[in-house]
Amino acid sequence: MRTWIGVHLPQLPLETFRPRWSEPGLHVVVNRLHAVAVSAQAATAGVRIGMRRAGVQTLCPAAVLHEHDAAREQEALSEIALALLQYTPEVAFAEEASLLLDLTASLRAFGGRRALCRRVRASIEALGFTPHIGMAPTAQGAWLLARHPNRRRRVVRMESLARRLDALPWLLLPAAQSCQEWLDGIGCITFADLRRLPRAGLQRRSGKGVLDALDRAYGQALELFNWVQAPKTFSARLELPDRIEHAEAILFAARRLLLQMTGWLVAQQLAVTRFTLWLEHERGRCALAPTPVEIALADPAWREEHLVRLLKERLGRIALSAPVIAVRLEAARVSAMLPPTDSLFPDPGGTSADYHRLLELLTARLGDQSVLAPAPRADHRPEVCNGWMPAARVTRPAPAPRLERPFWMLETPLPLTVRDHRPFYGSPLQMVKGPERIECGWWDGRLVVRDYFIAQGNSAALYWIYRQRNNEEIDWFLHGLFA
Amino acid sequence: MPALVSHLSASNATPSPLLHAVWRANQMGSCRAAVTATGHRVLDTELPNGGWPGASLIELLLQQAGIGEMQLLRPTLDAVAKKCRIALVQPPHRPQIAAWTAWGLPAERLLWVQAAHGADALWSAEQILRNGSCGALLFWQTHVRGESLRRLHLAAQGTEVLFWMMRPLACAQDASPAPLRLALRPTAGGLHLDIVKRRGPRRDEPLFLPLDALPAASSTSSPAAHAHLDRRTPAAATARNLPPALV
Repeated sequence: MRTWIGVHLPQLPLETFRPRWSEPGLHVVVNRLHAVAVSAQAATAGVRIGMRRAGVQTLCPAAVLHEHDAAREQEALSEIALALLQYTPEVAFAEEASLLLDLTASLRAFGGRRALCRRVRASIEALGFTPHIGMAPTAQGAWLLARHPNRRRRVVRMESLARRLDALPWLLLPAAQSCQEWLDGIGCITFADLRRLPRAGLQRRSGKGVLDALDRAYGQALELFNWVQAPKTFSARLELPDRIEHAEAILFAARRLLLQMTGWLVAQQLAVTRFTLWLEHERGRCALAPTPVEIALADPAWREEHLVRLLKERLGRIALSAPVIAVRLEAARVSAMLPPTDSLFPDPGGTSADYHRLLELLTARLGDQSVLAPAPRADHRPEVCNGWMPAARVTRPAPAPRLERPFWMLETPLPLTVRDHRPFYGSPLQMVKGPERIECGWWDGRLVVRDYFIAQGNSAALYWIYRQRNNEEIDWFLHGLFA
Repeated sequence: MPALVSHLSASNATPSPLLHAVWRANQMGSCRAAVTATGHRVLDTELPNGGWPGASLIELLLQQAGIGEMQLLRPTLDAVAKKCRIALVQPPHRPQIAAWTAWGLPAERLLWVQAAHGADALWSAEQILRNGSCGALLFWQTHVRGESLRRLHLAAQGTEVLFWMMRPLACAQDASPAPLRLALRPTAGGLHLDIVKRRGPRRDEPLFLPLDALPAASSTSSPAAHAHLDRRTPAAATARNLPPALV
């Protein structure tokens, strides 16, 4: 028994112009003569599908009319198909703005029929479209269930599919619409009525298409499809419905592109290591080059949630120079997808992939110079020796010397006052240990001639201070705190 | 008769689970989560279950930075660093790697996160807790609102990360959701620990914790031992100030 999902997009003509998350308004899509799709607000104003253009303008003068664009609709449909490739490699286009997915092999991987339906719906909704989803053991059956406006659209067994289909009106079949007149004339309304007619007569009067579709729907004939092929490289562009002035608001649109990329990556069995989001600006008096938002990953990833989180943190830090009108996503570097893990029991501290994900997330929000790992250098000067590098770049730090050093180092040494010939910091300081002479750095112009002491204040806290000869005077500085 | 016996045994059995469920204020409490030994026996006996509680917020209230707080945590960090990484978020000063390696801890296990804003630092701490790939998190923050603390405590409960938060001593007066709060004051050769809050009886007198690895402890026992080294200067001063009549 196979499992098919049919996805029908009833609002596709409208949603190619106004994604479902955009602000509600009076929008009507018209082809040369008639209204093809109507937004909910326009429908309450009285505009109906099939109305003439002049009629729409008379009824609702404020409505925005969009010209029906079949090429753009097909493009949107292939975007959805690309995003759905993450659930199954077998995705096919079907007539009347719908898609068919063979999910027989993916049921267990995604946790069953119901969960899979939910995920497919969530993915399509994230792309900005409203789907009607039907599930059936045959592709034609799934398509018919998705096409019908009632709400119970999931069928698992063939017998119940036959029962459900029998009650549906045959008018749903595109092939049968040419013979509507005479079928109506003989009182034929549902699929059950249609099947009761003699096959030979039906074929002679209506052509082969009706009988074929019927047989396919009831599982009595073979179904053949041209599966959607994923392109070799990934680059997707999206025009935004409005001008966007805040970088964070781009996330909605970027998420749509990321979903497509996820589908593409899964279909190609690849993982992305670097991708770029180009923000194309409105052309004002002079043309502005698009702003690239480049994201490099330490670990190849293909999961959508992680990529969305990274992008969210990055976009939060960007100040736009001009309003954005379009975004484009490119997978700059990809590598083969690796199997998740080879150990039976997970490590207690999480895998190294988890750690890399954490680093990427922190770096995306805080910047490169704020997430640091030790990179000590062989030098006697404590401030040079104590080197820190961006954590994503450090591979394996050199061994640091084992010296008695304070754990906290001041960024710049603090000059100390001297009272009674003693350095003073809150209280007079007592020398506990020392001196340790460090005289170094004549070769790079940062000469250091210091005597370090460990000193203790009245509160018993320990300080690392040094003495520096400056002509005849001796200056004292605080350089570290023992923690 | 058998019915009566079973009834009796049942009534005898009921108090013992109740005894477990009731905690009396003069007893040391217990926590569900696994604990990690502090490495200081004096402190272990004073903490519920004898160690730092994992999966919860631990507050250390410091008089100032650099009074031996890292020495206090060193044995625990030593144990953690064998397996996992240790994250320092928003430390007050630059951490010195040489000091870390001198304690015998591997440098590659350190991660230093320095955020520009307080909100970013809180976010980073929460992300590190959520991610769970670091074994310990040390977080310095001076001004934290109560709801942020609760949120961090909640985030810590979902993981096995040891989570210390370092705050100024003045915060001891404020309410906090942390189940364990210790106030740290420096003293000669060690630390004075005030247990501000714990799941156990109240302890008023501070706990003295000797820290052997501090440089002062290894050389001399107390700062008073230094006084006579410099005694020559005051002696000369008194001689000059003698009243002339006595001379």
